[in-house]
Amino acid sequence: MISVQRLCKSFGAQVAVDDLTFEIPAGQIVGFLGPNGAGKSTTLKMLTGMIEPTSGTARVCGFDLLRDPIEVKRHVGFVPESGAVFESLTGLEYLEMIAALYGIPRATATPRIEQFISFFDLSFETLTEKLLGAYSKGMRRKVVITAALLHNPPVVFFDEPLDGLDANAAVGFKTLIQSLAREGKAIVYSSHILDVVERVCDRVIIIDKGRLLLDGPPNELVAARGVATLERLFTELTGGVELEHRAAEFAKTFLP
Amino acid sequence: MSASGVPAEEFPLPPVAGSLARSQDAALRRLFLMLFLRGRSSRGLRKERAPRSIGSKLGLILALYCFVGLSAVAFWGQPVFVLALSQHSITFLFLSMFFASSSGEVLFNKEEADILLHRPIAPARLLRAKVRVLVEVSLWLAGALNLVSFAVGSRGPGGALFVVAHAGSVVLEALFCAGFVVLVYQLCLRWFGRERFESFVTTSQVLVGIAAVTGGQLVRPLLRPMLHQVGGTLGVGQHNWWLALLPPVWFASLDDALAGTGTSGAWLLAGVGLIATAGVLGAAFGKLSGDYQRGLQALNDVAPSARRRQAARRWFDVLVNAPPLRWWLRDPVTRAAFLLTSVYLVRDRDLKLRVYPSLAPMFVFPFIFIFDSQRGRGLGEGFAIAFLSGSLGIFPLIALSTLQFSQQWQASDVFRAAPIRGPAALSEGARRAVLAVLTLPALALVVAISLVVRQDSSQLLLLLPGIIAIPVFSLVPCLGGKAVPLSLPSEEAKAASRGATMWIAMLAAFAISGLGVWAHSAGWLGWFLLAETALAIGVYGAMRASIATARWSSME
Repeated sequence: MISVQRLCKSFGAQVAVDDLTFEIPAGQIVGFLGPNGAGKSTTLKMLTGMIEPTSGTARVCGFDLLRDPIEVKRHVGFVPESGAVFESLTGLEYLEMIAALYGIPRATATPRIEQFISFFDLSFETLTEKLLGAYSKGMRRKVVITAALLHNPPVVFFDEPLDGLDANAAVGFKTLIQSLAREGKAIVYSSHILDVVERVCDRVIIIDKGRLLLDGPPNELVAARGVATLERLFTELTGGVELEHRAAEFAKTFLP
Repeated sequence: MSASGVPAEEFPLPPVAGSLARSQDAALRRLFLMLFLRGRSSRGLRKERAPRSIGSKLGLILALYCFVGLSAVAFWGQPVFVLALSQHSITFLFLSMFFASSSGEVLFNKEEADILLHRPIAPARLLRAKVRVLVEVSLWLAGALNLVSFAVGSRGPGGALFVVAHAGSVVLEALFCAGFVVLVYQLCLRWFGRERFESFVTTSQVLVGIAAVTGGQLVRPLLRPMLHQVGGTLGVGQHNWWLALLPPVWFASLDDALAGTGTSGAWLLAGVGLIATAGVLGAAFGKLSGDYQRGLQALNDVAPSARRRQAARRWFDVLVNAPPLRWWLRDPVTRAAFLLTSVYLVRDRDLKLRVYPSLAPMFVFPFIFIFDSQRGRGLGEGFAIAFLSGSLGIFPLIALSTLQFSQQWQASDVFRAAPIRGPAALSEGARRAVLAVLTLPALALVVAISLVVRQDSSQLLLLLPGIIAIPVFSLVPCLGGKAVPLSLPSEEAKAASRGATMWIAMLAAFAISGLGVWAHSAGWLGWFLLAETALAIGVYGAMRASIATARWSSME
């Protein structure tokens, strides 16, 4: 479903993504991990056609990112970390607009939106009466997730999707993406909440400073490194252990 | 079954080609129209101020434009070219202001990237949808602005034909304005590259906004003597050849060619207008439209120029930590608010677009007085100089009122969370920033201009009444615990009450200038200045005391 070959992105002299290569088949949930500034969001933006790679290639559902960007975009859904929405629209206006951008007729879009409303326990009155600017963070996130899945894409990218969701909604969401993967969708899940990634993902890709560090099933990677959890593996790989020591030292400066 | 309990095959991937294109065009038009009319952000708006109805807001705007268009009545019975030129000048300036303030936000919106750039929309389609909405709205505005002129023109020498000709020329003018603005952005992208694009867009928007406001005040007084000079039958000739360079003249000539004199000169200038419009549209939406995608991506992926930002930060640090500002900003909260305000006045696009164009008329009105007084009209040179400094008091008033609003207003929660008793120190920091960054340079400019234009050295004393009033004026927005910088949603910045405050301040400045001139001519200027200073000190002290006791307003 997703094939990335030697993908690079530079901003001037700053290299954000450096020579990334990986494949993601249908039906797999892949945790895409890395510390802040590792190049995760930049990679996701390239794979969704939002920014152009400096070099390298990628194919999504068989469509080349540079040659067929519109086809790539038709086949992907994306939940950006920012959770940006047009705040002056009501939730329903926003979702109807998104449906129209994918050419979904209103007769099809409306029942689909109602299903998402029901799934996410959103009130139809809120969705039709309130502007998105007045929504809570969790409600906005639900609308953004709905907007990403409305056109039933075979590939879905999630960038910190649980941000703002309450515990129940988060549980429901995790079940949802596992079901979507069983239906054959490729899911890329970028998050800093590593215990969720460990439980939900079939495979993790860890990058740092734009480069690929590790790629494999989380249980195998954890076992191979002889650590207890994915979180421990991640901190060891990306300099988190040193940060733990520094945090302990820094905490001492707060003592009276 | 899908995860949400619905068979996945019921929702196959949506169609391609024709139906998708039509669906996208309609959705994008509706989207950008709603965003334009409601504003982009509604977060934090009070319930009663939240934009709900597109129709009522649009109706209000159009009614306002109709009111402005009433000026056409002054050209009742005038030749077609005179009426048309007058109306095209106003239309051009209003449309320029509209495009300057709206186009950057509509065409290159940073937050939009995360919502739309990963959707299957071709950049050219996105550009077309945005420009279509801009043109559509500009046509409504232009129509409202010219509604009265259609009636006036139909009763004039042009008859009913004027209505047809003028409608056509107004449409052309709107297309020219839209195409020109888009073309400027495309060329900026091509010439200045991605890295400098965003800052250049901001600067060019601010400059176009200032030029439009300034031009709006200056063009008509400039044209008026020329109209009278040739007995109201102005044409473009050797003595005023430069008029042929002005777009409103091209479009007025089209009216004149079709419904007026029909001279070869009018046809020639109308032809220039047609060719210029076609050329601008062709360039903007043809050859250069590919640059639009690069522009959108530029806003999405450009890393900031670290060196330039660091240099700017160093400049502010040096300024605040060196005398005399270090002595003036001893209170840390005031100093922090000073820095915050100064930085936003220099860096923030949204704020710059609101502050600088709103200050421009304050400079323009006195120049019109000077212009008139040097031609033996108006209220005299002394009054012009007095009003020049008097209008400076309005600078901090307008700036501080505008500075309260920001797109990042939610960040101002840190002010309330900090252990500060009330907003006084914050508004004081903002006030001092406005005085140092805006008012002081403007004062220096005013003194320099007065030195150049004055015929009598004693008239320079007439600057003093305005200067003495500045500290008092600058405290007005801070009364009642207001003028906390960047603390209110920018969507609330359109409140009509601010306009009323400005007009009251203008009248006060006018009164102070008038009293100063009267005292000068009566030989009592010294006494007047003494009395004004004493009054200003008293009022200033009372206002400071009131502001110091102000507490945070309710967050409800």
